[in-house]
Amino acid sequence: MQHRVAVTGMGMVTCLGSGVKANWEAVTTGRSGIGPITFFNSERFATRIAGEVKGNFDPEGYIPAKELRRMDRYQHFALVAAGEAIKDSGIKFPPEDPWRCGVVVGSGIGGLASIENGHNMLLQNGPKRVPPLMIPMVVINLVPGILSIKYGFKGPNFGVVNACTSGSSAIGEAYRLVREGRADLVLAGGTEAVVTPLGIAAFNALRALSTRNDAPEKASRPFDADRNGFVISEGAGMMVLESYTHALARGAVIHGEIVGYGATDDAFHFVMPDPEGEGAYRSMKLAVEDAGISPGEIGYINAHGTSTELNDKMETSAIKRLMGPDHERKVAISSTKSMTGHLIGAAGAVEAIYSLMAIKTGIIPPTVNLETPDPDCDLDYTPNKAAVRDVEYAMSNSFAFGGQNASLVLKRYSENGKGAHRS
Amino acid sequence: MDDLEKKVVDLIAEVLVDVNKENIQMNSKIVEDLGAESLDIYDMIALLEDEFGLEITDEEVEKIQTVQDVADFIKEHHKAS
Repeated sequence: MQHRVAVTGMGMVTCLGSGVKANWEAVTTGRSGIGPITFFNSERFATRIAGEVKGNFDPEGYIPAKELRRMDRYQHFALVAAGEAIKDSGIKFPPEDPWRCGVVVGSGIGGLASIENGHNMLLQNGPKRVPPLMIPMVVINLVPGILSIKYGFKGPNFGVVNACTSGSSAIGEAYRLVREGRADLVLAGGTEAVVTPLGIAAFNALRALSTRNDAPEKASRPFDADRNGFVISEGAGMMVLESYTHALARGAVIHGEIVGYGATDDAFHFVMPDPEGEGAYRSMKLAVEDAGISPGEIGYINAHGTSTELNDKMETSAIKRLMGPDHERKVAISSTKSMTGHLIGAAGAVEAIYSLMAIKTGIIPPTVNLETPDPDCDLDYTPNKAAVRDVEYAMSNSFAFGGQNASLVLKRYSENGKGAHRS
Repeated sequence: MDDLEKKVVDLIAEVLVDVNKENIQMNSKIVEDLGAESLDIYDMIALLEDEFGLEITDEEVEKIQTVQDVADFIKEHHKAS
């Protein structure tokens, strides 16, 4: 038996602010969160801009005081986003059957700042001075581990390491756990904090980042001819996924449903996407088939849209192939990375939430900075201004260094909706 | 409490944030009274070593029980160095 999978909680922290509400206001008004790097002196770096999470990003106090020193920043973000999602879900504690509640969290790199700090201590002061808590601050599976301790969830629990696809993969795998009846409820999402000297230097060495340092808010420009790389940012996104029957039984508010997930790999190159977009196309196609719908029923695609030439062209051609000539110009597409920057392992989770918010509110967030369209990118990317649109199904795409592709299909919640073939 | 003792209490409080600082007395036993677990101790040692520029071996840690023991250890090794 396959279960319907309801989304009953959402939470996020990005450079646009803490909380789904603040984020949604920002992305629907086209506000950019990108600015000069302030965390360290970036004078000697080719890239001196990023999407930093600034100020007090934990106004609700989800991070226990003891954990402030003992956890890396990407773990803090996860706690804050999870705190909001869990509160939003209204689930009661302790959970009725903890063995049926799981946690799946993705991150691309994990505790990079803690690796840098530990290595500095090693070089400067010797091996005895390496912080005793460095390992738990670094390893990615500690995030679902920490969350299981915090919420008493004793069911399936693992980290997902899939670079820029981590967040989507985590939500997709969590969706499968619930759909297949291996858990009643799974807290799932992604988190990342690599705006650090080593992080920026390394992505710069790969020539992946925009160097538009004089105009940070203009730097992330997906599908625009004048783009010159992605803009790195940080944060986390978390969802509570729950079997429909479990959600109904406890009277939960259902934001929407996840009805499809596709996952493939390009098997092409370690950092470049296959220009033919075969893997991306297949990932989207699998997700649509999993949802039991036709591609033309998708009303909105939150594109991976990194603002790199290779991705934007490849993704456009893959979307065209999926939708076909009759539908390719009817679907509303946007890249919210134009405003949030690229949250790497958190991107897919944050964007799945934006996709669900588009369904819930009927507002399509724009792709900002789309001023001179790339002639090869000729679809409706919702340029510069939000659009109003009735959306029943939305798709969220993520593609990674390593060739991993993941696509999620989200659906508007209605008690007797299609998809009732899954009870 | 002298300045060094105050500093020791501050550092212990920084690690044991669940413990109210007023409850950290010089004769408090770090494990029994303040509830420190082994990871808290390692964390504490790292902080003390950084702050006072000294090294505390695992054998020496075994002998330390109270907050006063910590302060005495630091005073002794500070002088020696």
